[in-house]
Amino acid sequence: MATLTLEDIVAKTADLPTMPAAALAVMNETQKATCSAQSVARCLLQDQALSSRILRLANSSFYGMSRQVSTAQESVVILGMRVIRNLAIVASTYPWLQKSLTGYGLDANALWAHSFAVGVASQTIAERTRQADPSEAFVAGLLHNMGKLALNSWIENKIVPMIALCAREDLPFDAIERKVLGYDHADVGAHLAKSWNLPAPLTRAIGFHHRPLEAPAGEKLASIVHLADHFATSFGIGPGGDSFRYEFFGEVLDILSIPEGDTDVLAHDFLMAFERHEKLFEVKAA
Amino acid sequence: MAVLASTVVGMAEIEIIKGQGILSCLGLGSCIGLCALDAQAGVAGMAHIMLPEAFADKPVDRPGKFANTGVPALIQLLEEAGASKNRLVFAMAGGARVFKFSAGTHSRMDIGARNNIAVLESLKKLNFRLRGTETGGNLGRTLTFNVETGLIRVRTISQAERDLCNLRG
Repeated sequence: MATLTLEDIVAKTADLPTMPAAALAVMNETQKATCSAQSVARCLLQDQALSSRILRLANSSFYGMSRQVSTAQESVVILGMRVIRNLAIVASTYPWLQKSLTGYGLDANALWAHSFAVGVASQTIAERTRQADPSEAFVAGLLHNMGKLALNSWIENKIVPMIALCAREDLPFDAIERKVLGYDHADVGAHLAKSWNLPAPLTRAIGFHHRPLEAPAGEKLASIVHLADHFATSFGIGPGGDSFRYEFFGEVLDILSIPEGDTDVLAHDFLMAFERHEKLFEVKAA
Repeated sequence: MAVLASTVVGMAEIEIIKGQGILSCLGLGSCIGLCALDAQAGVAGMAHIMLPEAFADKPVDRPGKFANTGVPALIQLLEEAGASKNRLVFAMAGGARVFKFSAGTHSRMDIGARNNIAVLESLKKLNFRLRGTETGGNLGRTLTFNVETGLIRVRTISQAERDLCNLRG
C-alpha cells in the first residue's frame, strides 16, 4: 500500500472528530491572563448542549455541592477555571471517544475508558511529580489516542497482518503503522490537535506519547502520558487489538525524577483517583 | 438449557459463589485472576489482584487489590462461605508484560511478573499449590471459571479459548 500524507488522511477520512468551538474557546480563554468567570461562562454559553452537560456534571454528587449550581458563571466560580476547562473537554470528546473502532479492535467504550484512565493517570503523575500542570496533563492523556479515530478506517481488516508484522519484525505497533501507512496514530492525533489550535506542548505530548525520548528536552508531558499509558494498559483498562504491542521507555522515570521504588505508589494513587472519577464520567472498566 | 449466572470480578474485587455460576475476569493485563474451589462444599471464589504488595503507610481499601492481602482475604471469605481450607485448590492466569521494555527500563516496571511471584509466594506461605497456571507473555487474557464443572478457561485476543485446568479433576 502506498504511504499517505497526513493531509490525505485528514481529507479522505469521513467522520473525523471535531472539537466544539465552545470547548476550544474555553480552552483558549482559560489560558489568558485576563480571563474571568464571566468571560469563561460567555464561551460556554456559545453551546447550550455543552453548558447543560457541564451543569449536570457540576451538580453531580462527585462535587458535593450543598446547593444547586444553576448558571454557567456560577459553575466557573464554584468549581474553578481548570475544572471547568476539563469538564468542557470531557463533555465534548465523550461523543466520539465512546464509539467502537473496529479497525483497532476496540469495542464501544473501550477507547473512552482507556483515554479517560490515561487522563486521570496523567493528572495524578503531574500532581505527584509537579513536573507539569495537572489539568493540562489530564487533557493530554484524554486526547492521546484520538489519532486512532482518523486512522481506524485505514487499518480496517489490516490489524491481524499488522500484529503479525510486529512479531515478525520485532517492532512496536506504532512503527508498523508508520511502515504501512506512513504515519502512526500519535502523528495523526498531533496533526488534528494542531488543526484545532490546541497549545503546542499539548500537541507535542500527543505526538510523542509512544516516543517520549524524542520530545523536546524540558517538555515533560509526553513522558507523563507515556507512563500513564503504561499504568492504564497494565490494569487492562480499555484494551484493543493493538494493546501490548508497544514499547515502554523506562527512561521516563529519570525524566520525571521518579524513583523506581515509587512507581507502585503512583499506580495505586492513580487507581484511587480513577475509582473516584469513574462513576461520574460513566466509565466502565472490567 | 438454563443459562448460568455470570459474575464479572472487577478490579481489586473478590467474589464468592456457592453452587452454580460462572466467575470471570475480563481483559487481564498485568493483573492476576486467582480462582479457588472447595469441590465438596461447592464453594468457589475469584480474586482480581492488581499489585504485589500493600503499602505499610497506607490503609488497604480493598484487600483484593494486592497479592499479599488478596490471597488470605480470598481464603477467609471462602471459609466464611463454608469451604474448608484443607480442601481448597487454586489456579491463576494473567500477569502479562504489557509493553516491550527498552534497555533502560528497570525490571520493577514489570508489574505482571511481580504480581505472579507475589501470588505464588502468598500461596506457598499458606502451603497451597496451584493446579493450573498461565501467566506472563504479552497477552491480554479473559479468565472464566465454571464453578459447577470446575472448568477454567482462558481466552486471548489472538488465540482461541482453551482449557487451563479443571479444579474438580
